[in-house]
Amino acid sequence: MAGPADPLLSVRDLYTSFPIRSAFLRREVGRVQAVSGVSFELAAGRTLGVVGESGSGKTTLARTIIGLERPESGRVVFDGRDLPDLSGAELRRARRQIQMIFQDPYAALNPRLTVAQIISEAWAIHPGVVPRGRWTAEVKDLLARVGLNPDHADRYPHQFSGGQRQRVGIARALALRPRLVICDEAVSALDVSVQAQVLNLLVDLQADLGLTYLFIAHDLSVVRHISDEVVVMYLGKVVETGTVAQMFTAPVHPYTQALLSAVPVPRPWAAPHRQQVVLAGDIPSPMSPPSGCRFRTRCWKAQQQCAAAEPALVDRLAGHRSACHFPELPARARTAAVVRP
Amino acid sequence: MDGTAILPATGRPAPSRPLLSVQDLTVQFGTRAGTITAVDRVSLDVAEGETLAVLGETGSGKSALAQALMGLVPGPAGRVVSGRINYDGTDLLARPRSYTRRLCGTELAMVFQDPLSSLNPVLRVGVQIGELFRRRRGASRAEARRKAIELMERVGIPAAARRVDDYPHQFSGGMRQRVMIAMALALRPRLLIADEPTTALDVTVQAQIMQLLADLKAEHRMSLILISHDLGLVAGVADRVMLMYAGRVVETGELREVYQTLAHPYTRGLMASIPGLAGPRERLTPITGSPPDLLRLPSGCRFRPRCGFATEACRASQPDLLPVPTGPESHRAACHHAEEVVADGRSG
Repeated sequence: MAGPADPLLSVRDLYTSFPIRSAFLRREVGRVQAVSGVSFELAAGRTLGVVGESGSGKTTLARTIIGLERPESGRVVFDGRDLPDLSGAELRRARRQIQMIFQDPYAALNPRLTVAQIISEAWAIHPGVVPRGRWTAEVKDLLARVGLNPDHADRYPHQFSGGQRQRVGIARALALRPRLVICDEAVSALDVSVQAQVLNLLVDLQADLGLTYLFIAHDLSVVRHISDEVVVMYLGKVVETGTVAQMFTAPVHPYTQALLSAVPVPRPWAAPHRQQVVLAGDIPSPMSPPSGCRFRTRCWKAQQQCAAAEPALVDRLAGHRSACHFPELPARARTAAVVRP
Repeated sequence: MDGTAILPATGRPAPSRPLLSVQDLTVQFGTRAGTITAVDRVSLDVAEGETLAVLGETGSGKSALAQALMGLVPGPAGRVVSGRINYDGTDLLARPRSYTRRLCGTELAMVFQDPLSSLNPVLRVGVQIGELFRRRRGASRAEARRKAIELMERVGIPAAARRVDDYPHQFSGGMRQRVMIAMALALRPRLLIADEPTTALDVTVQAQIMQLLADLKAEHRMSLILISHDLGLVAGVADRVMLMYAGRVVETGELREVYQTLAHPYTRGLMASIPGLAGPRERLTPITGSPPDLLRLPSGCRFRPRCGFATEACRASQPDLLPVPTGPESHRAACHHAEEVVADGRSG
């Protein structure tokens, strides 16, 4: 399925860390490695889902790609150009083409601006996208496109429901005609009936505008619904990646298996062969990740070797890659034993 | 079809008199713009050892219902306007609030969504858990501490003997929720009300907490009211479900019966909104529009403006919660077209 065309976004061996500062004098006493050697490629017009628990580094990954954090090392190549190296006009052009939709539709919109002002602010910052004379008409077009009443352009965010506000956030992201949209938990805060509406909207927009999505979420059923490929992160590292079909029918990494089995399904009796893995403990602190395999402290397969050496991300079958010393063959993972520690 | 035969035996003895029986409970909140009825004539029963899931989205009234049961409706804006809350044969609303207060902990207990705001940040968790034994059971300091460690071990907090002296901020979200559960269960209540107990937690930790609640419930033969927005989450533990919309109960019954034979368009819409983990990826068919403003409720059925089955009858009168035709007596829906909805679900 992966075409020979160049990817729109290519992330190579990316590292991002934050300083840990002492309470006194704010001296740097160490670093938290939030993103630790992440690589992936995302082709134009496709959707890559990034999943992981809080502390897995998925938000830092997004912020680094969009330029809100500076990477320690590694490359972020967008449309053939290395983003951290760009400056001036080139950087502005690249930034315009990458937009973000945030999780909290209440916090992400300025309460003192009308919806029209919120959306057209971007055109003031990036002149040349939409001429000023067209702003009003363009705002109405965008509102209609995201399923809002175009006549509500002069309303303030508090006059909208949560789902409607998220649509405003989407309209704002689309205002600059981006090619890549990063959705950071974009539907997580919404009620399930509204979440489904927004998911459908995102699917439609992708089809109509040829958008490419980097879709970050903790909800695996949502990620399965919208993605072509999936990356599973744990403590800053990619532990498994592959197509949606590969990952959801035959996950090979124990962490992915555990994540999948933890998703509540409404009719459990209809899926009697579902694995039941209840992981013990919490995700360790990224300030002091375990040696070797970072997942080993919660893994039921862990052996001596896992503490000693870090497993590499290895191709198991047709681009389905996992980082585990004791991988199951993808074809056999489907009938993996029921584990219940 | 004989409805009662659809369900497999649950392996529990038939419940006798319900432990908690709520009738026509109405809770209102006064706001500057007017009075809203958050809970509108809601009735429910919970038998001993039974788990009832109360499901609904934002503004459905599920949390206000929980507050009312615990005598915690925030006054003076909010108040229980009418109805009866019968707990083990006593009408709590007819008694002074101090009576309910005394039941809290020993008979009724509650676990909230956000454990960090429910714990005192400047007290060690052991002291907070132990306080229950000191105040209510007259235990000595040493005895309370020992009990606290015992409870922390029971709810799965590792190294409890050491962590008993830690402060809430030193615990992760999942561990804090365990501390809350330990406190709620300290005095062995007969009914636990858990309001979105896992909403703020990661999915793997959520699974741990649900497992713990299921184990504890079985161990103590405790009754549980589980309040949630997640239809999937409650499927593993609840015996019965009750769905709320804009303050009203729209559908209720045995969980499996309700989930298999959706009789209310709202329940059906919610179910269709959940993307599946298996099977083909199809376009979702969400409910259109958004929940009504409680200050400006539509006439007749409150779900009408979002409903594909709506007719003139739905505009004219509010449907009562009635047994679903062709279903068991316990399966009830408040829809003028319930029969049609069920038939449509079977054919589609």
